[in-house]
Amino acid sequence: MSEDVNAGCGAMLAGISAYLDGDLDATACQAIERHCQACPRCATVVEGLRETIGLCREAGQTPLPEAVRQRAKASIERLLASEKPSEA
Amino acid sequence: MAVTKSEIVNPRGTDGSGAIYADLVRKAAGGDREAMERLLMRAQETAYRFSLLVCGHPQDAEDVMQDALLKTYRYVSRIKEPEAFRTWLYTTVQNACRMKRRRRVGEPSHLTSIEEGATSGDGEAGPLEVEGHERPADQLVIDSWVGLRLRQALKALPSSYRMIVVLREMEGLSTREVAHVAGISEANVKTRLHRARVMLREALEGV
Repeated sequence: MSEDVNAGCGAMLAGISAYLDGDLDATACQAIERHCQACPRCATVVEGLRETIGLCREAGQTPLPEAVRQRAKASIERLLASEKPSEA
Repeated sequence: MAVTKSEIVNPRGTDGSGAIYADLVRKAAGGDREAMERLLMRAQETAYRFSLLVCGHPQDAEDVMQDALLKTYRYVSRIKEPEAFRTWLYTTVQNACRMKRRRRVGEPSHLTSIEEGATSGDGEAGPLEVEGHERPADQLVIDSWVGLRLRQALKALPSSYRMIVVLREMEGLSTREVAHVAGISEANVKTRLHRARVMLREALEGV
């Protein structure tokens, strides 16, 4: 790894989230990708963050436990059976 | 109960959860019972996830879920901007979590509230510790739901950072919506989110 690559690591790492969120323009994206091709350490960081974001998003799409959903459903049925919406 | 499978599996929605919420709010306010049921189900699921993942108390999550149910039902017809429902809901849920924390009897002094977690401008704060008062059966269900590894890693984050991760990554709110709910600038949301991702990655490698 050259010193030039190491010198660019700080700026690269600061922009990772914007890169992963698609907030950077094509030129900035290409700069990061070129840097990662030459710097395995930064490439590992980028990949690690990408996996972390994916893990969170996957968890966010997981349905709640069935027991919790059943309790929620029962609460709605009780509420709708007993009340009418208040007037604005 | 008319909750479609696609909504359950993909709560973020292909056209954005905010748009789905807004549509349900309009229909529910207009007297559509099925829309009201779906809206209430979503609101409860949102409340449960947020309460559990951000505040960390399974026993409180059930109460916060009930609170979201009643508030959504009673106030849905008064909401002026259906597009703003989602941020209203998360703000309401966050406030309910805070109230639960304040009312908690015998809370150990080392626990930190959401707002106390953000003790400095850059959000640096100690992690929110999570008590183990929940029933073992519930804990098993919860761990299998989120994944024990991710839940442990989330616990290692400062609470103010954890909230940003949950809202942005797991709940799919936009940066602007997260800023509104958290009461901070969009720039600060981005800064905290980046730091939180790095910390979360490190925590995941350690558990």
